[in-house]
Amino acid sequence: MLARAHTFTIEGLQPRHVTVEVDVRAGLPAFTIVGLADAAVRERVRSAILNCGYEFPGRRITASLAPGDVPKAGVALDLALACAVLAGGGQIPRSLLDGHVLFGELALDGELRPCRGTLAVAEATRRDRLGKLVVAGACAREAELVDGLDVAIADSLSSAVRVLGGGEQDVARVETGGVAKRCAAAAPDLHEVRGQDHAVRALVIAAAGGHNCLLSGPPGTGKTMLAQRIVSILPPLSRAEAIEVTRIRGIVETTTGGLVSERPWRAPHHSITTAGLIGGARRDSIGEVALAHNGVLFLDELSEFARPVLEALRQPLEDGRVAIARAGHSTIYPSRFMLLAATNPCPCGYAGVVERCRCGEAELARHRRRLSGPLLDRIDLLAQLDLDGAHDRTTPAPISSSQARELVAGARERQVARLRGAGVSLNAHMDAGLLRHHVSLDERGEQMLRAAGERGLLSARGRDRVLRVARTIADLNGSHSVRPRDLGSALALRGDGGLGGKRAA
Amino acid sequence: MNGEPGAAAHSACAQCLRRSWLVAQLSGPLDCNCRADGRLVDLLALPDEQLIEALAGRRRIELRQRYARFTPEQLRGVDGIAQVCMHDPGYPPALHGSGAPATLFASCDPQRLSRVTARPVVALVGTARATDYGAEMARALGRGLAASGVTVAGELVGGIAQAAHEGASETGTSLAVLAGGMDVAPPAARRSLLGRIERDGAAVSESPSTTPRRQWNAAAAARIVAGLAEVTVAVEAEDSARELAGATVARALGRTVGAVPGRVTSRASRGCHALLRDGAVLIRGAGDVLDLLYGVERAHEQPHAVRDRLEPRLRSVLERVGAGLDTPQKLTAGAARPAELLQALSELELLGLLARGAGGRYVPCDAIDARV
Repeated sequence: MLARAHTFTIEGLQPRHVTVEVDVRAGLPAFTIVGLADAAVRERVRSAILNCGYEFPGRRITASLAPGDVPKAGVALDLALACAVLAGGGQIPRSLLDGHVLFGELALDGELRPCRGTLAVAEATRRDRLGKLVVAGACAREAELVDGLDVAIADSLSSAVRVLGGGEQDVARVETGGVAKRCAAAAPDLHEVRGQDHAVRALVIAAAGGHNCLLSGPPGTGKTMLAQRIVSILPPLSRAEAIEVTRIRGIVETTTGGLVSERPWRAPHHSITTAGLIGGARRDSIGEVALAHNGVLFLDELSEFARPVLEALRQPLEDGRVAIARAGHSTIYPSRFMLLAATNPCPCGYAGVVERCRCGEAELARHRRRLSGPLLDRIDLLAQLDLDGAHDRTTPAPISSSQARELVAGARERQVARLRGAGVSLNAHMDAGLLRHHVSLDERGEQMLRAAGERGLLSARGRDRVLRVARTIADLNGSHSVRPRDLGSALALRGDGGLGGKRAA
Repeated sequence: MNGEPGAAAHSACAQCLRRSWLVAQLSGPLDCNCRADGRLVDLLALPDEQLIEALAGRRRIELRQRYARFTPEQLRGVDGIAQVCMHDPGYPPALHGSGAPATLFASCDPQRLSRVTARPVVALVGTARATDYGAEMARALGRGLAASGVTVAGELVGGIAQAAHEGASETGTSLAVLAGGMDVAPPAARRSLLGRIERDGAAVSESPSTTPRRQWNAAAAARIVAGLAEVTVAVEAEDSARELAGATVARALGRTVGAVPGRVTSRASRGCHALLRDGAVLIRGAGDVLDLLYGVERAHEQPHAVRDRLEPRLRSVLERVGAGLDTPQKLTAGAARPAELLQALSELELLGLLARGAGGRYVPCDAIDARV
């Protein structure tokens, strides 16, 4: 007898509909699965069926997973396969399987376990109008984020069968320690940063306009400390952004505990590989850039990262997405993030302090070469930290996170209002055409830009970056036009300003 | 035996070429002796026979035989490299004296070399690890001196010498003294600089062509640079024999030595301050050097075209940067309106009065239109 069940497998970020067909015929007992599934599926399904008190059909069972040419990684097919086997063996009516999507992993005792990618699957179920989604209790809150989707919770194979028959669903267990909670718990505050007012101001500007920002300073001056606090001054995620973040997070972590409300903050170690950063190491692996989507990607010790890894950041920074092509498949990941990088000004870190800097000219040149180039071309702002400031324990902090958050939110509101209909909402994402339209300089400002060009301080691309930052500074000041003062500050903060290489007395 | 006219590339006499060959043969022992103060200069002043006696060790007998068999053809391999020996009229007169190399190998023709050395020559010497201030001073001095028709001499190494050559090749001629043979490629970082120097100026070396750079060459080049120059200016040097080598040789030769002061707390300028204390002439700019060469003509606090017309707010920021508040953090600490300070910094940078140095620090520098 033939039974058919529906489920999904995750390919990159995309859920892919899989039809599980099971044919149970007379013959020598055998259980054959065709269609490129993981080998272990068979054993889990057999044990779960037996341990739940059902009978495993002692006949010839053939299961086919369609489309047959797509490898189906992951364990989420278990529930659909088990139910199809039961229906094929006549233990439950075949018609029950229609109008249900079964998504979950089975334990050997028949318990239903949460699977990665629930939100994406829930959205696809709703989109394709496949009916009710049956998932484990732990990922129910994630599935329920999709409006108008019927979600049923089952804790085991037998409850799933009961739900299929129209019976009572299980009660969702409240998950504690989900990602959302973890983030909210220990968000450090900006008022703990003392003596680095200049860098703090630069960071607020970066947050307000979504600009990529480089933190530069000697070791121990608080680059990492400052960077960690940027999350606390960014505005909360909008619902649409939060859904995107949850979807991506849900594919990496089994349970996200519902909607993720905090901005993503990713800080990979500098030994990361290109595949780790961009994605595509295994068929379905997601890179750090996608995980940082709508959030912040922090690269500490920027000069220690391998050159090819940094080069690979160009597309995501430019397009806000990254296309991975591997043999047999290609995937597009969204990756619109704010890049925050930290570096020492020279290999020893004390460039400019004669008594301490031990770097030779060649070392400085090498350091400069590593940093400069295409990546630095996309960094709008330089936040410079100072050695003397690091010892300052008495001056009060210039601003607390909540004050900064208000400033940032105000500036972002003005940006959104101005850029309405342009397809972007942040100054950092304005292209040359939008820049011309939204940034008008007075005579004095034009003159400053011309002078900067003539002195060789600004390239054409650098000019655009300075204008974007100037626009953000004006937005922070609540100014409608970009005044020379805003432009002057933007010039002083420009991203390539920190790359002078010689010793300073 | 003077060179015949027309045979520019092969004009050195056999005796001088043999001396250059011998010195190159003794590179190993010379390397061993180049660390001790002044010993290298003394060794290189010895006559041939004593040099072999002093340095050749067990190779003494073999080297004497090869020395006796030497023919000038052994050094005549490469086209386009002129050999100017001390008996040649084109040999820089200032070099006649103790310890000067017998033969100079030059990448230009000897006429050019004598033209370049016929002008007053000023050597700019100092550390290979220059601070932004030192490099900026060297560049300004090189630029100003070259613009006034002076030949700027220096080694072809990083730091002060490089900055001096860069400045000088913008406005006039400079003379580079290379370590190693003329056809041995200089370090990649200074290859294009050498090209610019050779366009108007000249590059010379005491090593025969194809001789690789050796450790002793660097110390020996300092004595040629100082020997060529009428005035030697230490722009920035720590208080070490190596960084003061040029000034020491110049003083030993009885030439005028000048030094550019730095901040007294800065280790990078300690050597210069030691020279000043011992009687070196204080050099504040190209004008001071020209005064040394040609005598004092006029009071020379020249008006600075840009700086003197600065608005007070910009001037005060510039002065504070000059006083050591060189990072935005230091400058804006406690400022009521940090944005205005940043704007002032940008404006000064646009005027060319400030530049960004190591780690993004601000360095005061002379505007381009304030030459000499």
